[in-house]
Amino acid sequence: MATVTMVGGSARLAGARRLSGKLLSVAITLAGLLLLTFLMGRLLPADPVLAVTGSEVDKATYDRVYQQLGLDLPIWQQFLSYVKNVLTGNLGSSLTTGRPVVDDLLTVFPATLELAIVAILVGTFVGVPLGVVAAANRGGLMDHVARIIGLAGHSIPIFWLGLIALLVFYSKLQWVAASGRIDILNEGLVTPITGLMLVDTLLQGEWDIFRDALSHIILPGALLGYYSVAYISRMTRSFMLEQLSQEYIIAARAKGMSRRQMIWNHAFKNIRVQLLTVLALTFGGLIDGAVLIETVFGWPGLGQYLTRGLTMNDMNVVMGSVMLTGIVFLIVNIVSDRLYRILDPRTR
Amino acid sequence: MRRNLLAGVSVVMMLGVAPTQAASPPNALVIGTTLSTITSLDPALTNSRTQSEVLSNLYDNLVEVTPQDINKIQPMLAEKWELSDDKRTITMTLRKGVTFASGNPLTAEDAAWTIQRVIKIGGVGASDFALWGFTSQNIDGLVQAPDPQTLVIKLPQAVSTDLVLYSLTSSSLGILDKQTVSKQEKDGDFGQNWLKSNGAGSGPFKLTQWRPNDVPLCDARAEYWRGAPPMRRVVMRHIPESGNLRLQLEASDVDIGQYMASGDLEALQAKGIAIDPGPGLGYYYIAMNTQDPDLAKPLVRQAFQHILDWKPLASTTMKFNGFPWQSIIPKGMPGAPNGEPTGYEYNPQRAKELLAQAGYPNGLKKTLYPSGGPLLTMAVALQASAKAAGVDFEVVPGEHTPDFRSRKYEVLVGNSGSRLPDPYGTLVQYAYNPDNRDEAKLGGYYLWRTALDAPELTKLVDQTKTETDPGKRQALFEKIDQDFKALNPPLIVFFQRTDPYAIRKGVSGYVGHPTWTTRWFNVKKS
Repeated sequence: MATVTMVGGSARLAGARRLSGKLLSVAITLAGLLLLTFLMGRLLPADPVLAVTGSEVDKATYDRVYQQLGLDLPIWQQFLSYVKNVLTGNLGSSLTTGRPVVDDLLTVFPATLELAIVAILVGTFVGVPLGVVAAANRGGLMDHVARIIGLAGHSIPIFWLGLIALLVFYSKLQWVAASGRIDILNEGLVTPITGLMLVDTLLQGEWDIFRDALSHIILPGALLGYYSVAYISRMTRSFMLEQLSQEYIIAARAKGMSRRQMIWNHAFKNIRVQLLTVLALTFGGLIDGAVLIETVFGWPGLGQYLTRGLTMNDMNVVMGSVMLTGIVFLIVNIVSDRLYRILDPRTR
Repeated sequence: MRRNLLAGVSVVMMLGVAPTQAASPPNALVIGTTLSTITSLDPALTNSRTQSEVLSNLYDNLVEVTPQDINKIQPMLAEKWELSDDKRTITMTLRKGVTFASGNPLTAEDAAWTIQRVIKIGGVGASDFALWGFTSQNIDGLVQAPDPQTLVIKLPQAVSTDLVLYSLTSSSLGILDKQTVSKQEKDGDFGQNWLKSNGAGSGPFKLTQWRPNDVPLCDARAEYWRGAPPMRRVVMRHIPESGNLRLQLEASDVDIGQYMASGDLEALQAKGIAIDPGPGLGYYYIAMNTQDPDLAKPLVRQAFQHILDWKPLASTTMKFNGFPWQSIIPKGMPGAPNGEPTGYEYNPQRAKELLAQAGYPNGLKKTLYPSGGPLLTMAVALQASAKAAGVDFEVVPGEHTPDFRSRKYEVLVGNSGSRLPDPYGTLVQYAYNPDNRDEAKLGGYYLWRTALDAPELTKLVDQTKTETDPGKRQALFEKIDQDFKALNPPLIVFFQRTDPYAIRKGVSGYVGHPTWTTRWFNVKKS
């Protein structure tokens, strides 16, 4: 009896230690990220005072704003006040939109998030089966076809592909819409709850607007997903090949198991964790890699916002966007870590 | 498994296959454009084409000029106006019965307050009106509303009253609803923060929605004093990719296309879509900072007149964006030269000789800034053609207008626009520098940006401001144009700008305005 209690107690203690360890590592990563964005802000060739006052300002106003922004304080104090601002949700104002950066990010980030989600779904449901089929038919026709499909998606310039896709699917076939998130007729008819148009329209039962939103997102989302198919399918293929050469697979075959069962029920199950890492990394990359697609399709997302901030030397925009991207990466990593534990009993 | 995959993809496609109704709605105008230049919707802070267009429809002006006849000042909010005998006072009578979008009546007090506000804020929107000697110290005393229907403008200096009236047509002097804007004041900002994304005008349209860099949505006002506009709604969509915009114009999903690439405009023209050339009052130029010791030498500047191969540009990338021009007076205006422009032929050999004479037998190396994204093509073209002349440019992409305004550049290519339909408008940008010191910070004048002191030229330009006799003015303009060229100027003009608008068949009444005050009031769709 005593042994059981002791085991139970130490298990809880171990759990608490693990959790606090996790929290500590997250906090340290976050602090490092903030330090990075802060340094970037100070190193950018943009005068933060001019960002507030405009370029033609007299010395008196310049000095006043300089003090207001705390630029006369030692650098470590400036960093602390930056951290305090971030933690209270103050990311400054944008020079180019005139609004608080937080408000801007709340508008543009969901747009990119939605695009990235559609893209990762396309990338996964096309790339993974492609990789599995390629591995199962190693050296065969399907292997070559899969490689060509993947390579094409990765090598062909995505903006060219975008325009050709528009020509085919929008101009000729009239299957999809060309730019923006929804039709102008539907502007303002959906109350943003999550900011994800597809989700919001479903939640409010607006089926027509849902179809409209889908027809706007499907092309840019599919193209963005197609771009990552190469990576996903190659990694899947290589993981699968590794599994298929294992002894337990040969044993299962010898026992008379069907080929399909062997591939999907045994080999594939064992690569899920590795695949998860690949997908998580890809998703993080999709969040900030969507600039070209966003430009071609007039998609009002984070990519366009950040790029415009960079070319206009809009410091607050750049710092805020980079920090947000970093935080998203962090969250994606934490979530995939949790999923490992569920999928792979060995890590529990 | 492959079958399942195929099935899955088809399901998704079918969900999305709503044969999208290819038609912008019959009573809504859809304009495809680039919205990245709109940083605020405050008229006092406006300077770009797209901003001016939106503001010209949210706000009315006291007077206007139409694109068909830009020399004639027409009544708008002011029904009539009288000049005092000494021509130093303009008394305007405002029409009755005009209301703002808020419902407040428009009175002369709103007009006076608007003008005072623009000068006091002193932003880019003030540059035209401030030319006549108005300052934040004197403006309250000079612009007044003795009664709700009368506006009195006293001129601090002797100036041609036509010029003053022309400057009142600018979109930065759209009349604001004093009561509404004053309520939104914060820390003495005159409501600038609120006006960044809100409207408070008496124009034919009101601002319903504004998402920066995404979409402004304007709805018609049925109670507009000229009558309800035929278009119930105007939407501007941010479509930065010219190819995409072209496909949407062809599919009739978009009615007007702006900021498009020449290749796409050509293709649209071939399909029968009208391209309004949209003549502009501005130029494409190479600017040199004469604070740089190399560029201070007149011979070097003269060499630069021969390093751009502009003829091929005229028939390719510049085909719809400008026409070859080398004078600082817009084509067709008094004092402008006749015939084909000459003087700045591409001649790398001559340029080399001039540079050698100036003491640079091995050529020059300079950084080249495009003033903004659209000028990158020209910067790269200049870089390529200048190589043969021994001038080695390093092109640095980005938005360099702030650097230009603060003299932090070496060589720059840019384009300008003037909102004043008179040669004075461009002359005051290119040939006028009242105070060349760094501290003067006169970034609104291009000649100041190049740090060239030209007192004689400046005096002549001032004379054209006060001279009222048209013959004498023309003679002055011609003299200024010649004297300017004789300086081997640090501003070399190669093209006069045009701002093409692609207009879908079935859309009538949309005319691009040379001063960017393009109004939607007359637009109809059949």
